[in-house]
Amino acid sequence: MAETRGVLLPAYVVADESASMGPYYQDLSGGLAALCNGLRAEPMIAAKVRLAILGFSDDVQLRQGLSDMRMVERLPQLAVRGATNYGAAFADLLQRIPHDVQMLKNDGYKVHRPVAFFLSDGQPTDGRHWHGPHQMLVDRNTLPFAPNIIACGIGSARADTMLQVATRQEFAFVALPSADIGRAIAEFFHALTASLVASGRAMADGNPQLIVNRPDQFRLAIDEV
Amino acid sequence: MQRIRRQADGIQAWQRVVIDIPGPEFEPTPPRVLGGTCPDSECDGWSTAEVTLRSASLRGERHRYYRQPRQDATCAVVHEGTGTVMFAVADGVSSATAATVGAAEACRAAVWAIHAQLDEGRPGHDFPAAVGYTVETLHRQAAAMLQQEPDLAQVEELVATTLVAGTARPGAEGIEISLFRVGDSGAWVLDLARPRFHPLFGSKTEGDVVATSVTALPRVPRKLEQWFGKLVPGQVLLVGTDGFGDPLGDGDGRVGALFAEHLAVPPSPLWLAHLLDFSRETFDDDRTLLALWPRSEAR
Repeated sequence: MAETRGVLLPAYVVADESASMGPYYQDLSGGLAALCNGLRAEPMIAAKVRLAILGFSDDVQLRQGLSDMRMVERLPQLAVRGATNYGAAFADLLQRIPHDVQMLKNDGYKVHRPVAFFLSDGQPTDGRHWHGPHQMLVDRNTLPFAPNIIACGIGSARADTMLQVATRQEFAFVALPSADIGRAIAEFFHALTASLVASGRAMADGNPQLIVNRPDQFRLAIDEV
Repeated sequence: MQRIRRQADGIQAWQRVVIDIPGPEFEPTPPRVLGGTCPDSECDGWSTAEVTLRSASLRGERHRYYRQPRQDATCAVVHEGTGTVMFAVADGVSSATAATVGAAEACRAAVWAIHAQLDEGRPGHDFPAAVGYTVETLHRQAAAMLQQEPDLAQVEELVATTLVAGTARPGAEGIEISLFRVGDSGAWVLDLARPRFHPLFGSKTEGDVVATSVTALPRVPRKLEQWFGKLVPGQVLLVGTDGFGDPLGDGDGRVGALFAEHLAVPPSPLWLAHLLDFSRETFDDDRTLLALWPRSEAR
Protein backbone atom coordinates (compact mmCIF):
# COMPACT_ATOMS: atom_id res chain seq x y z
CA MET A 1 0.00 0.00 0.00
CA ALA A 2 1.70 3.18 -1.19
CA GLU A 3 1.51 6.24 1.01
CA THR A 4 -1.98 7.66 0.82
CA ARG A 5 -3.45 11.01 1.74
CA GLY A 6 -6.20 9.23 3.64
CA VAL A 7 -9.08 6.83 3.29
CA LEU A 8 -12.35 8.38 2.14
CA LEU A 9 -15.98 7.32 2.10
CA PRO A 10 -17.64 8.28 -1.20
CA ALA A 11 -21.34 8.89 -0.58
CA TYR A 12 -24.12 9.54 -3.07
CA VAL A 13 -27.51 11.02 -2.40
CA VAL A 14 -29.84 9.86 -5.17
CA ALA A 15 -33.03 11.88 -4.81
CA ASP A 16 -36.24 11.47 -6.74
CA GLU A 17 -37.04 14.69 -8.65
CA SER A 18 -40.18 13.37 -10.35
CA ALA A 19 -43.19 15.66 -10.66
CA SER A 20 -44.95 14.04 -7.73
CA MET A 21 -42.24 15.43 -5.44
CA GLY A 22 -43.41 18.98 -6.34
CA PRO A 23 -45.32 19.63 -3.12
CA TYR A 24 -42.24 18.67 -1.12
CA TYR A 25 -39.63 20.75 -2.88
CA GLN A 26 -39.03 22.93 0.19
CA ASP A 27 -38.58 19.82 2.32
CA LEU A 28 -36.02 18.44 -0.12
CA SER A 29 -34.08 21.71 -0.14
CA GLY A 30 -34.25 21.98 3.63
CA GLY A 31 -33.08 18.41 3.98
CA LEU A 32 -30.08 19.00 1.74
CA ALA A 33 -29.16 22.13 3.70
CA ALA A 34 -29.39 20.20 6.97
CA LEU A 35 -27.19 17.45 5.54
CA CYS A 36 -24.53 19.91 4.44
CA ASN A 37 -24.58 21.79 7.73
CA GLY A 38 -24.58 18.57 9.72
CA LEU A 39 -21.41 17.40 8.01
CA ARG A 40 -19.73 20.76 8.41
CA ALA A 41 -20.40 20.57 12.13
CA GLU A 42 -18.25 17.42 12.26
CA PRO A 43 -14.97 18.52 10.68
CA MET A 44 -13.15 15.32 11.67
CA ILE A 45 -15.73 13.25 9.82
CA ALA A 46 -16.36 15.66 6.95
CA ALA A 47 -12.67 15.45 6.06
CA LYS A 48 -13.14 11.75 5.30
CA VAL A 49 -16.43 11.87 3.39
CA ARG A 50 -16.91 12.97 -0.20
CA LEU A 51 -20.54 13.64 -1.06
CA ALA A 52 -22.32 13.77 -4.40
CA ILE A 53 -25.94 14.83 -4.95
CA LEU A 54 -27.85 13.34 -7.89
CA GLY A 55 -31.40 14.16 -8.89
CA PHE A 56 -33.17 11.52 -10.98
CA SER A 57 -36.32 11.64 -13.01
CA ASP A 58 -36.44 10.82 -16.73
CA ASP A 59 -32.67 11.12 -16.54
CA VAL A 60 -30.08 12.01 -13.95
CA GLN A 61 -28.87 15.50 -13.26
CA LEU A 62 -25.70 15.96 -11.26
CA ARG A 63 -26.56 18.58 -8.65
CA GLN A 64 -23.20 18.36 -6.95
CA GLY A 65 -20.19 16.33 -7.95
CA LEU A 66 -18.28 14.36 -5.34
CA SER A 67 -17.16 17.08 -2.95
CA ASP A 68 -15.55 17.81 0.38
CA MET A 69 -18.49 19.45 2.12
CA ARG A 70 -16.19 21.71 4.11
CA MET A 71 -15.28 23.39 0.84
CA VAL A 72 -18.76 23.71 -0.66
CA GLU A 73 -19.98 27.29 -0.38
CA ARG A 74 -23.22 27.07 -2.33
CA LEU A 75 -25.84 24.49 -1.48
CA PRO A 76 -26.93 22.27 -4.35
CA GLN A 77 -30.50 22.70 -5.57
CA LEU A 78 -32.81 19.93 -6.72
CA ALA A 79 -35.45 20.49 -9.42
CA VAL A 80 -38.83 18.85 -9.82
CA ARG A 81 -39.50 17.36 -13.25
CA GLY A 82 -40.68 14.31 -15.21
CA ALA A 83 -41.07 10.63 -14.33
CA THR A 84 -39.39 8.12 -12.00
CA ASN A 85 -36.83 6.24 -14.03
CA TYR A 86 -34.95 4.03 -11.57
CA GLY A 87 -32.88 2.55 -14.39
CA ALA A 88 -31.44 5.95 -15.27
CA ALA A 89 -30.31 6.39 -11.66
CA PHE A 90 -28.55 3.04 -11.43
CA ALA A 91 -27.00 3.30 -14.90
CA ASP A 92 -25.61 6.69 -13.93
CA LEU A 93 -24.08 5.33 -10.72
CA LEU A 94 -22.66 2.40 -12.66
CA GLN A 95 -20.67 4.83 -14.80
CA ARG A 96 -20.05 7.47 -12.19
CA ILE A 97 -18.69 5.47 -9.25
CA PRO A 98 -15.67 3.91 -11.00
CA HIS A 99 -14.82 7.30 -12.46
CA ASP A 100 -15.09 9.04 -9.09
CA VAL A 101 -13.10 6.36 -7.31
CA GLN A 102 -10.36 6.59 -9.89
CA MET A 103 -10.32 10.34 -9.46
CA LEU A 104 -9.87 9.99 -5.71
CA LYS A 105 -7.13 7.42 -6.21
CA ASN A 106 -5.39 9.72 -8.66
CA ASP A 107 -5.47 12.36 -5.94
CA GLY A 108 -3.66 9.97 -3.63
CA TYR A 109 -6.57 8.64 -1.57
CA LYS A 110 -7.84 5.18 -0.87
CA VAL A 111 -11.53 4.50 -0.52
CA HIS A 112 -14.01 2.60 1.55
CA ARG A 113 -16.86 0.93 -0.28
CA PRO A 114 -19.11 3.74 -1.57
CA VAL A 115 -22.60 4.21 -0.21
CA ALA A 116 -25.69 5.45 -2.03
CA PHE A 117 -28.74 6.83 -0.24
CA PHE A 118 -31.72 6.39 -2.54
CA LEU A 119 -34.95 8.32 -1.90
CA SER A 120 -38.08 7.90 -4.02
CA ASP A 121 -41.74 8.72 -3.62
CA GLY A 122 -42.99 6.39 -6.29
CA GLN A 123 -42.79 3.12 -8.11
CA PRO A 124 -40.39 2.99 -11.06
CA THR A 125 -41.94 4.20 -14.29
CA ASP A 126 -39.50 2.10 -16.30
CA GLY A 127 -41.13 -1.18 -15.28
CA ARG A 128 -38.55 -3.89 -14.73
CA HIS A 129 -35.95 -2.32 -16.99
CA TRP A 130 -34.06 -0.96 -14.00
CA HIS A 131 -33.19 -4.47 -12.81
CA GLY A 132 -30.37 -4.86 -15.36
CA PRO A 133 -28.33 -1.77 -14.45
CA HIS A 134 -29.10 -2.33 -10.78
CA GLN A 135 -27.72 -5.87 -10.86
CA MET A 136 -24.57 -4.71 -12.58
CA LEU A 137 -24.21 -1.89 -10.05
CA VAL A 138 -24.33 -4.15 -7.00
CA ASP A 139 -22.27 -7.04 -8.41
CA ARG A 140 -18.98 -6.91 -6.50
CA ASN A 141 -17.39 -9.41 -8.87
CA THR A 142 -17.66 -7.15 -11.88
CA LEU A 143 -17.66 -3.81 -10.06
CA PRO A 144 -15.05 -3.83 -7.28
CA PHE A 145 -16.46 -0.62 -5.87
CA ALA A 146 -20.08 -1.75 -5.98
CA PRO A 147 -21.85 0.50 -3.50
CA ASN A 148 -23.94 -0.28 -0.48
CA ILE A 149 -27.39 1.06 -1.28
CA ILE A 150 -29.77 2.34 1.38
CA ALA A 151 -33.28 2.71 -0.04
CA CYS A 152 -35.99 4.86 1.50
CA GLY A 153 -39.48 4.85 0.03
CA ILE A 154 -42.11 7.49 0.69
CA GLY A 155 -45.54 8.11 -0.80
CA SER A 156 -46.41 5.36 -3.23
CA ALA A 157 -42.99 3.67 -3.24
CA ARG A 158 -43.59 0.08 -2.15
CA ALA A 159 -41.74 -1.92 0.47
CA ASP A 160 -40.95 -4.81 -1.87
CA THR A 161 -39.42 -2.37 -4.36
CA MET A 162 -37.22 -0.78 -1.70
CA LEU A 163 -36.08 -4.25 -0.69
CA GLN A 164 -35.04 -4.92 -4.28
CA VAL A 165 -33.13 -1.65 -4.48
CA ALA A 166 -31.31 -1.92 -1.14
CA THR A 167 -28.24 -4.11 -0.93
CA ARG A 168 -29.28 -5.54 2.43
CA GLN A 169 -32.68 -6.07 4.01
CA GLU A 170 -31.81 -3.80 6.90
CA PHE A 171 -30.95 -1.02 4.46
CA ALA A 172 -34.53 -0.81 3.08
CA PHE A 173 -37.06 1.50 4.69
CA VAL A 174 -40.54 2.76 3.91
CA ALA A 175 -42.37 5.67 5.47
CA LEU A 176 -45.11 4.80 7.92
CA PRO A 177 -48.57 5.07 6.31
CA SER A 178 -49.41 7.78 8.81
CA ALA A 179 -46.24 9.76 8.13
CA ASP A 180 -46.36 13.29 6.85
CA ILE A 181 -44.31 13.14 3.63
CA GLY A 182 -42.57 16.44 4.20
CA ARG A 183 -41.49 15.38 7.66
CA ALA A 184 -40.43 11.98 6.35
CA ILE A 185 -38.14 13.68 3.83
CA ALA A 186 -36.61 15.77 6.61
CA GLU A 187 -36.11 12.64 8.68
CA PHE A 188 -34.49 10.88 5.71
CA PHE A 189 -31.83 13.57 5.52
CA HIS A 190 -31.44 13.65 9.28
CA ALA A 191 -30.84 9.89 9.37
CA LEU A 192 -28.54 10.14 6.38
CA THR A 193 -26.38 12.71 8.16
CA ALA A 194 -26.29 10.63 11.34
CA SER A 195 -25.42 7.52 9.33
CA LEU A 196 -22.58 9.25 7.53
CA VAL A 197 -21.16 10.63 10.77
CA ALA A 198 -21.50 7.30 12.59
CA SER A 199 -20.08 5.35 9.67
CA GLY A 200 -17.21 7.78 9.28
CA ARG A 201 -16.29 7.33 12.93
CA ALA A 202 -16.79 3.57 12.87
CA MET A 203 -14.74 3.03 9.74
CA ALA A 204 -11.95 5.13 11.15
CA ASP A 205 -12.13 2.97 14.26
CA GLY A 206 -11.84 -0.25 12.26
CA ASN A 207 -15.43 -1.39 12.60
CA PRO A 208 -16.50 -3.52 9.69
CA GLN A 209 -19.98 -2.28 8.88
CA LEU A 210 -21.69 0.71 7.47
CA ILE A 211 -23.90 2.12 10.20
CA VAL A 212 -27.37 2.95 8.95
CA ASN A 213 -29.80 4.77 11.20
CA ARG A 214 -33.49 4.13 10.61
CA PRO A 215 -35.16 7.46 9.94
CA ASP A 216 -37.98 8.48 12.24
CA GLN A 217 -41.32 8.12 10.45
CA PHE A 218 -39.93 5.07 8.63
CA ARG A 219 -39.93 1.37 9.31
CA LEU A 220 -37.96 -1.48 7.86
CA ALA A 221 -39.41 -2.49 4.51
CA ILE A 222 -39.02 -6.15 5.42
CA ASP A 223 -41.57 -5.67 8.19
CA GLU A 224 -44.16 -4.69 5.62
CA VAL A 225 -43.62 -7.38 3.00
CA MET B 1 20.20 37.84 35.16
CA GLN B 2 22.87 37.23 32.57
CA ARG B 3 23.11 33.63 33.71
CA ILE B 4 19.39 33.18 33.39
CA ARG B 5 19.49 34.61 29.90
CA ARG B 6 22.33 32.29 28.96
CA GLN B 7 20.41 29.28 30.24
CA ALA B 8 17.50 30.26 28.05
CA ASP B 9 19.58 30.39 24.89
CA GLY B 10 18.74 27.67 22.43
CA ILE B 11 15.33 26.98 23.89
CA GLN B 12 12.80 26.94 21.11
CA ALA B 13 9.30 25.59 21.07
CA TRP B 14 8.93 22.49 18.96
CA GLN B 15 6.66 23.38 16.08
CA ARG B 16 4.26 20.62 15.29
CA VAL B 17 5.38 18.55 12.33
CA VAL B 18 2.91 19.07 9.46
CA ILE B 19 2.75 16.78 6.46
CA ASP B 20 0.76 17.93 3.43
CA ILE B 21 -2.56 19.38 4.67
CA PRO B 22 -2.72 19.62 8.47
CA GLY B 23 -5.65 18.41 10.50
CA PRO B 24 -7.78 20.89 12.45
CA GLU B 25 -6.16 22.71 15.35
CA PHE B 26 -7.89 22.59 18.72
CA GLU B 27 -7.17 22.13 22.41
CA PRO B 28 -7.61 18.44 23.29
CA THR B 29 -10.56 17.57 25.48
CA PRO B 30 -10.18 15.46 28.63
CA PRO B 31 -10.95 11.81 28.00
CA ARG B 32 -14.00 10.28 29.59
CA VAL B 33 -13.18 7.43 31.90
CA LEU B 34 -14.29 4.34 29.99
CA GLY B 35 -13.36 1.46 32.26
CA GLY B 36 -9.94 3.04 32.69
CA THR B 37 -7.83 5.79 31.30
CA CYS B 38 -4.23 6.63 30.51
CA PRO B 39 -2.21 9.75 29.70
CA ASP B 40 -2.57 11.44 26.33
CA SER B 41 1.02 10.58 25.46
CA GLU B 42 3.85 8.49 26.80
CA CYS B 43 7.32 7.62 25.63
CA ASP B 44 10.17 5.42 26.73
CA GLY B 45 13.78 4.76 25.82
CA TRP B 46 16.79 2.83 27.03
CA SER B 47 19.64 0.62 25.84
CA THR B 48 20.96 -2.77 26.81
CA ALA B 49 24.43 -3.88 25.81
CA GLU B 50 23.03 -5.10 22.49
CA VAL B 51 20.00 -3.02 21.54
CA THR B 52 18.57 0.46 21.87
CA LEU B 53 14.84 0.86 22.31
CA ARG B 54 12.58 3.85 21.82
CA SER B 55 8.80 3.92 21.97
CA ALA B 56 6.00 6.43 21.95
CA SER B 57 2.24 6.14 22.15
CA LEU B 58 -0.06 9.08 21.47
CA ARG B 59 -3.76 9.82 21.58
CA GLY B 60 -5.06 10.48 18.10
CA GLU B 61 -6.76 13.70 17.05
CA ARG B 62 -10.14 12.02 16.80
CA HIS B 63 -9.94 10.81 20.37
CA ARG B 64 -8.63 14.20 21.52
CA TYR B 65 -11.60 15.84 19.83
CA TYR B 66 -14.33 13.45 20.94
CA ARG B 67 -13.23 13.02 24.58
CA GLN B 68 -11.99 9.48 24.13
CA PRO B 69 -8.92 8.10 25.92
CA ARG B 70 -5.96 6.73 24.03
CA GLN B 71 -6.68 3.11 23.12
CA ASP B 72 -3.17 2.17 22.03
CA ALA B 73 -0.58 0.79 24.40
CA THR B 74 2.98 -0.46 24.39
CA CYS B 75 5.44 -1.91 26.86
CA ALA B 76 8.89 -3.44 26.82
CA VAL B 77 11.13 -5.11 29.39
CA VAL B 78 14.47 -6.92 29.47
CA HIS B 79 14.99 -10.47 30.63
CA GLU B 80 18.07 -10.10 32.76
CA GLY B 81 19.30 -13.66 32.40
CA THR B 82 19.40 -13.74 28.61
CA GLY B 83 19.54 -10.06 27.63
CA THR B 84 16.40 -10.65 25.59
CA VAL B 85 14.15 -7.65 25.08
CA MET B 86 10.43 -8.42 25.11
CA PHE B 87 8.03 -5.91 23.67
CA ALA B 88 4.39 -5.50 22.76
CA VAL B 89 2.18 -3.00 20.96
CA ALA B 90 -1.61 -3.12 21.07
CA ASP B 91 -4.51 -1.18 19.60
CA GLY B 92 -7.75 -1.50 21.57
CA VAL B 93 -10.76 -1.95 19.30
CA SER B 94 -12.83 1.21 19.49
CA SER B 95 -16.14 -0.59 19.73
CA ALA B 96 -14.91 -2.24 22.95
CA THR B 97 -16.10 -0.19 25.88
CA ALA B 98 -12.85 -0.51 27.84
CA ALA B 99 -10.47 -0.65 24.87
CA THR B 100 -7.86 1.34 26.78
CA VAL B 101 -7.73 -1.34 29.45
CA GLY B 102 -7.71 -4.15 26.90
CA ALA B 103 -4.72 -2.79 25.02
CA ALA B 104 -2.68 -2.14 28.15
CA GLU B 105 -3.51 -5.53 29.70
CA ALA B 106 -2.73 -7.39 26.47
CA CYS B 107 0.71 -5.77 26.27
CA ARG B 108 1.52 -6.57 29.89
CA ALA B 109 0.23 -10.13 29.65
CA ALA B 110 2.08 -10.94 26.43
CA VAL B 111 5.37 -9.59 27.73
CA TRP B 112 4.91 -11.36 31.03
CA ALA B 113 4.11 -14.67 29.35
CA ILE B 114 7.25 -14.50 27.22
CA HIS B 115 9.31 -13.50 30.25
CA ALA B 116 8.02 -16.55 32.10
CA GLN B 117 9.03 -18.82 29.20
CA LEU B 118 12.56 -17.42 29.31
CA ASP B 119 12.66 -17.90 33.08
CA GLU B 120 11.86 -21.56 32.47
CA GLY B 121 14.85 -21.83 30.16
CA ARG B 122 12.72 -21.98 27.02
CA PRO B 123 13.50 -19.92 23.89
CA GLY B 124 10.64 -17.49 24.54
CA HIS B 125 8.84 -17.85 21.26
CA ASP B 126 6.06 -20.23 22.11
CA PHE B 127 3.73 -17.56 20.89
CA PRO B 128 0.52 -19.62 20.84
CA ALA B 129 1.04 -20.10 24.58
CA ALA B 130 1.69 -16.38 25.04
CA VAL B 131 -1.52 -15.58 23.15
CA GLY B 132 -3.40 -18.10 25.28
CA TYR B 133 -2.18 -16.45 28.46
CA THR B 134 -3.08 -13.03 27.09
CA VAL B 135 -6.62 -14.18 26.30
CA GLU B 136 -6.94 -15.59 29.82
CA THR B 137 -5.78 -12.28 31.23
CA LEU B 138 -8.33 -10.38 29.17
CA HIS B 139 -10.99 -12.79 30.36
CA ARG B 140 -10.01 -12.24 34.02
CA GLN B 141 -9.96 -8.49 33.48
CA ALA B 142 -13.43 -8.55 31.97
CA ALA B 143 -14.69 -10.74 34.83
CA ALA B 144 -13.33 -8.25 37.36
CA MET B 145 -14.93 -5.31 35.58
CA LEU B 146 -18.28 -7.01 35.07
CA GLN B 147 -18.20 -8.76 38.44
CA GLN B 148 -19.43 -11.92 36.77
CA GLU B 149 -18.04 -14.70 34.60
CA PRO B 150 -18.17 -13.35 31.04
CA ASP B 151 -18.58 -15.29 27.81
CA LEU B 152 -16.31 -14.65 24.82
CA ALA B 153 -18.65 -12.07 23.31
CA GLN B 154 -18.72 -10.11 26.57
CA VAL B 155 -14.92 -10.13 26.82
CA GLU B 156 -14.80 -8.92 23.23
CA GLU B 157 -17.31 -6.16 23.83
CA LEU B 158 -15.28 -4.92 26.77
CA VAL B 159 -11.56 -5.34 26.03
CA ALA B 160 -11.01 -6.44 22.40
CA THR B 161 -7.59 -5.47 21.13
CA THR B 162 -5.02 -6.14 18.43
CA LEU B 163 -1.57 -7.22 19.54
CA VAL B 164 1.93 -7.45 18.10
CA ALA B 165 4.54 -8.82 20.47
CA GLY B 166 7.88 -10.53 20.34
CA THR B 167 11.48 -10.74 21.39
CA ALA B 168 14.85 -9.37 20.34
CA ARG B 169 17.55 -11.77 21.44
CA PRO B 170 21.29 -11.21 21.02
CA GLY B 171 22.78 -13.81 18.66
CA ALA B 172 26.07 -14.55 16.96
CA GLU B 173 25.00 -12.96 13.66
CA GLY B 174 22.91 -10.08 14.90
CA ILE B 175 19.75 -9.64 16.88
CA GLU B 176 17.33 -12.53 16.50
CA ILE B 177 13.82 -11.18 16.17
CA SER B 178 10.70 -13.26 16.81
CA LEU B 179 7.27 -11.71 16.39
CA PHE B 180 3.61 -12.58 16.28
CA ARG B 181 0.50 -10.58 15.68
CA VAL B 182 -3.25 -10.73 16.02
CA GLY B 183 -5.10 -8.01 14.12
CA ASP B 184 -4.00 -5.20 11.87
CA SER B 185 -1.14 -3.64 13.79
CA GLY B 186 2.14 -3.94 11.93
CA ALA B 187 5.88 -4.44 11.99
CA TRP B 188 8.59 -3.37 9.58
CA VAL B 189 12.31 -3.55 9.14
CA LEU B 190 13.65 -0.16 8.11
CA ASP B 191 16.68 -0.59 5.90
CA LEU B 192 18.55 2.65 6.51
CA ALA B 193 20.88 2.56 3.53
CA ARG B 194 18.20 2.67 0.83
CA PRO B 195 16.07 3.70 2.89
CA ARG B 196 13.15 1.28 2.70
CA PHE B 197 10.45 -0.07 4.99
CA HIS B 198 9.99 -3.84 4.65
CA PRO B 199 6.63 -4.93 6.07
CA LEU B 200 6.87 -8.14 8.08
CA PHE B 201 3.14 -8.87 7.85
CA GLY B 202 0.55 -8.37 5.11
CA SER B 203 -1.37 -5.12 4.61
CA LYS B 204 -5.06 -4.64 5.36
CA THR B 205 -6.12 -3.74 1.84
CA GLU B 206 -8.44 -6.31 0.25
CA GLY B 207 -8.24 -5.81 -3.48
CA ASP B 208 -9.12 -2.23 -4.33
CA VAL B 209 -11.34 -1.60 -1.35
CA VAL B 210 -9.86 -0.79 2.05
CA ALA B 211 -10.83 -3.53 4.48
CA THR B 212 -12.27 -2.33 7.73
CA SER B 213 -12.83 -5.58 9.62
CA VAL B 214 -10.30 -6.37 12.31
CA THR B 215 -9.49 -9.70 13.91
CA ALA B 216 -8.73 -8.98 17.51
CA LEU B 217 -8.20 -10.71 20.82
CA PRO B 218 -9.87 -12.40 22.65
CA ARG B 219 -10.59 -14.12 19.32
CA VAL B 220 -7.55 -16.01 18.09
CA PRO B 221 -6.97 -16.74 14.39
CA ARG B 222 -6.70 -20.39 13.41
CA LYS B 223 -3.16 -19.79 12.23
CA LEU B 224 -1.17 -17.26 14.21
CA GLU B 225 0.89 -14.88 12.06
CA GLN B 226 4.55 -15.11 13.09
CA TRP B 227 7.83 -13.77 11.78
CA PHE B 228 11.37 -14.84 12.61
CA GLY B 229 14.48 -13.11 11.31
CA LYS B 230 17.63 -11.19 12.11
CA LEU B 231 18.24 -7.52 12.67
CA VAL B 232 21.69 -6.34 11.67
CA PRO B 233 23.45 -2.97 11.87
CA GLY B 234 21.91 -0.60 9.35
CA GLN B 235 18.42 -1.85 10.13
CA VAL B 236 15.75 -0.76 12.58
CA LEU B 237 12.87 -2.92 13.74
CA LEU B 238 9.62 -0.96 13.92
CA VAL B 239 6.44 -2.18 15.54
CA GLY B 240 3.41 0.06 15.31
CA THR B 241 -0.33 0.37 15.29
CA ASP B 242 -2.28 1.29 12.17
CA GLY B 243 -2.26 4.90 13.34
CA PHE B 244 1.37 4.82 12.20
CA GLY B 245 1.09 2.13 9.52
CA ASP B 246 -1.76 3.72 7.56
CA PRO B 247 -0.06 7.06 6.93
CA LEU B 248 3.25 5.27 6.35
CA GLY B 249 1.86 3.09 3.55
CA ASP B 250 4.78 1.61 1.66
CA GLY B 251 7.05 4.14 3.28
CA ASP B 252 7.91 5.72 -0.05
CA GLY B 253 6.18 9.03 0.66
CA ARG B 254 6.59 11.96 2.99
CA VAL B 255 5.81 10.05 6.17
CA GLY B 256 8.34 7.38 5.29
CA ALA B 257 10.95 10.00 4.46
CA LEU B 258 10.38 11.77 7.77
CA PHE B 259 10.84 8.64 9.84
CA ALA B 260 13.68 7.23 7.76
CA GLU B 261 15.59 10.45 8.30
CA HIS B 262 14.92 10.80 12.00
CA LEU B 263 15.37 7.13 12.88
CA ALA B 264 18.76 6.84 11.22
CA VAL B 265 20.12 6.94 14.75
CA PRO B 266 18.02 6.56 17.89
CA PRO B 267 16.37 9.90 18.68
CA SER B 268 15.46 10.93 22.20
CA PRO B 269 12.19 9.35 23.35
CA LEU B 270 10.58 12.79 23.50
CA TRP B 271 11.64 13.56 19.94
CA LEU B 272 10.18 10.29 18.74
CA ALA B 273 6.89 11.23 20.41
CA HIS B 274 7.05 14.68 18.81
CA LEU B 275 7.62 13.19 15.36
CA LEU B 276 4.86 10.67 15.81
CA ASP B 277 2.45 13.46 16.68
CA PHE B 278 2.68 14.85 13.15
CA SER B 279 -0.44 16.46 11.77
CA ARG B 280 -1.88 15.29 8.47
CA GLU B 281 -5.51 15.65 7.48
CA THR B 282 -7.64 12.47 7.80
CA PHE B 283 -4.99 10.62 9.84
CA ASP B 284 -6.47 11.04 13.29
CA ASP B 285 -6.09 7.61 14.90
CA ASP B 286 -4.01 6.88 18.01
CA ARG B 287 -0.39 6.26 17.05
CA THR B 288 2.10 3.95 18.66
CA LEU B 289 5.59 3.14 17.47
CA LEU B 290 8.29 1.03 19.08
CA ALA B 291 11.75 0.99 17.48
CA LEU B 292 14.76 -1.23 18.13
CA TRP B 293 18.30 -0.65 16.87
CA PRO B 294 21.19 -3.08 17.15
CA ARG B 295 23.43 -1.51 19.78
CA SER B 296 26.23 -0.63 17.37
CA GLU B 297 23.78 1.85 15.88
CA ALA B 298 23.22 3.56 19.20
CA ARG B 299 24.70 7.01 19.77
